[in-house]
Amino acid sequence: MTDMPNTPPADAIDYRRRQKIARIVQRLVIVVSAIVLAIYVLAPVSWLVSSAFQTEAEIVSIPPHWIPDEPTLRNFEAIFTAGDSEPVTYETRSGTDPAAGDFIPSTAKNLLPSMLNSLIVATLVVILNLLVGVPAAYAIAKIRFWGRNASVYFILITRVIPDIALVVPFFLVIRKLGMLDTLGSLVITYLAITVPFTVFIMIQYFEGLPDELDKAARVDGCSRLQALIKVFLPLSLPSLVAVVLFTFLASWNEFLLALMFTQTSASQTLPILLASFTSDFTVSFSFLNAAGVLAVVPPVIVAIVFERYIVSGLTAGAVKG
Amino acid sequence: MARIRFTNVNKKYANGFHAVRDLNLDIEDREFIVLLGPSGCGKSTTLNMIAGLEEVSDGNLIFDEQVVNYVPPHKRDVAMVFQSYALYPHKTVYDNIGFGLRMRNVSKEEIDRRVRDAAQKLEISHLLDRRPSQLSGGQRQRVALGRAMVREPAVFLMDEPLSNLDAALRISMRAEIKELHRAMQTTFVYVTHDQAEALTLADRIVVMNDGVVQQIGTPDDIYERPANTFVASFLGSPPINYFDGVLEVGPDDRMSFIRDGLRLALPAAHAARLKGQDGRAVRLGIRAEDVAEGPAELEVNALSGTVNSVLPVGSDQYLGMDFGGEELFFRVGKDLRHAFGEEITLAVDLNRLHIFDRETGQSLIWNAV
Repeated sequence: MTDMPNTPPADAIDYRRRQKIARIVQRLVIVVSAIVLAIYVLAPVSWLVSSAFQTEAEIVSIPPHWIPDEPTLRNFEAIFTAGDSEPVTYETRSGTDPAAGDFIPSTAKNLLPSMLNSLIVATLVVILNLLVGVPAAYAIAKIRFWGRNASVYFILITRVIPDIALVVPFFLVIRKLGMLDTLGSLVITYLAITVPFTVFIMIQYFEGLPDELDKAARVDGCSRLQALIKVFLPLSLPSLVAVVLFTFLASWNEFLLALMFTQTSASQTLPILLASFTSDFTVSFSFLNAAGVLAVVPPVIVAIVFERYIVSGLTAGAVKG
Repeated sequence: MARIRFTNVNKKYANGFHAVRDLNLDIEDREFIVLLGPSGCGKSTTLNMIAGLEEVSDGNLIFDEQVVNYVPPHKRDVAMVFQSYALYPHKTVYDNIGFGLRMRNVSKEEIDRRVRDAAQKLEISHLLDRRPSQLSGGQRQRVALGRAMVREPAVFLMDEPLSNLDAALRISMRAEIKELHRAMQTTFVYVTHDQAEALTLADRIVVMNDGVVQQIGTPDDIYERPANTFVASFLGSPPINYFDGVLEVGPDDRMSFIRDGLRLALPAAHAARLKGQDGRAVRLGIRAEDVAEGPAELEVNALSGTVNSVLPVGSDQYLGMDFGGEELFFRVGKDLRHAFGEEITLAVDLNRLHIFDRETGQSLIWNAV
């Protein structure tokens, strides 16, 4: 055996070193991009939360205080006592100091009721979505019937039309039904928008589950509905969670239709009310931000509860088709 | 108790595909029936119709005396084992096996007794707490069998249950399924495309092709007396050899098969069935194993040709032989060594010849029985 040279010739390219540098550069790029993206996403939310605990004067100070000098719960207190105090009007405003934030919007007392409205609407939309969308998706995915493909396309086509184009027809129908300014009008129209998404996601998932599972369940003594409930639903938990999150958030955040169909506190949802705070003769940023923090709490709770399923749920629906 | 009868049953799908045509089949109580055929021949569709998973388009499906065309699967007393096992991934082995009983409101104690009993028989007692994903293929297969067994159904359906197992396991599971049938004393309907499975398991085999039943009979009937060239070709390894020729009554009044220089004298029993067919163009079938080596005793059964391939398969060897431009395959013992290009003469077992109509492929000897 001949001896192998221990050192490479001087003019040889050191691939090992190159690879090492490339790896470091690659890692650096990923870390920097991640940090930039994180700042981009988190900064507005951080400011919302931070400013909710600041006084009006501190909010408008320059440079801004990311961490409040004197954290205060006054803004939240104002929200929960908004009904008791006299709202500031054009006539009475001279008695207050806008810079100190000692005023609250005229519609402030509707904040908590509107939150309840939002919660009722979102919850109903989620429940009805599951009741309507899941059996529909199961039928389309697992039962061969005449017009099956046509119905899939029909459902999907409703998603192609932008919501703004639906506003006028929706409005006419809702008015004809005498449902203007009711929560029912929101539930119905939100369902029209979210059910196609639910059906689509669930079809994708159910089609990925083997037909033989369905057959086995039915031979084992399940009716179609029992096969869906006892075998398919437990297996499709990730997709169900994705559907619940999507429909809850879509209903919670929806603005356009709610703006059209609601007029009073009986049916106004949170986004409408928050927007109304900016239409007073003056804006209280501290109050608005505190309300904003309250508005994101329910979706965040829902997201945290279902967090471990979110990723697998969204990919599970996306892999096929 | 379950006797299953198909009377003129047809299955047409919405897309126009005619999966099963005019099926007439009478399955006796406690019989082991195997539906055999290539993919797409309609055998699984037939099984699904028995299970109630596919609707009968036309004709009647009768369990004992009751027409069950529209009875949903969960109201039929059938259990089924699937090719992919179809175990419920989210349930433990115990719950998988007990699921069918729970759906039928059997008491908890009874479920427990039956599940443990079945698990013991199938030697999977130690796996009851696991989930399907933690099991090997063979173990999953046993769980699937257990799930069907505990139901104690009137009809036991199996859709290619062994095709996902490796060769050794498949053979041992075959024996177990046969034993299961003996122990359960219930009607078994088994679908496969594997001839060896069909021949070892069945009381009777139903050979299907393109949705049409080709032949129904015992394994011996199907193998020894195939009704047509499809059945003859589908069973046997290497497959049966065919060559075309004509029938001719010789000067000695014996009927023979004639082709070029070849003359094979047909035995009296065959000749009697072919009476009056002198001069008819036919297709001759010789199964690969129906030849013997060494010089033919008489000229009447000798087949000569050139060896053009030798494939040893352990127990014996396959010989590829060129016979007047036709490629024939025979199975012979391995005592004699053969070489490429060698001229050989094989003695044909005349009693085991098959003669088919050249146009229709129907047997001219066995259809007349």
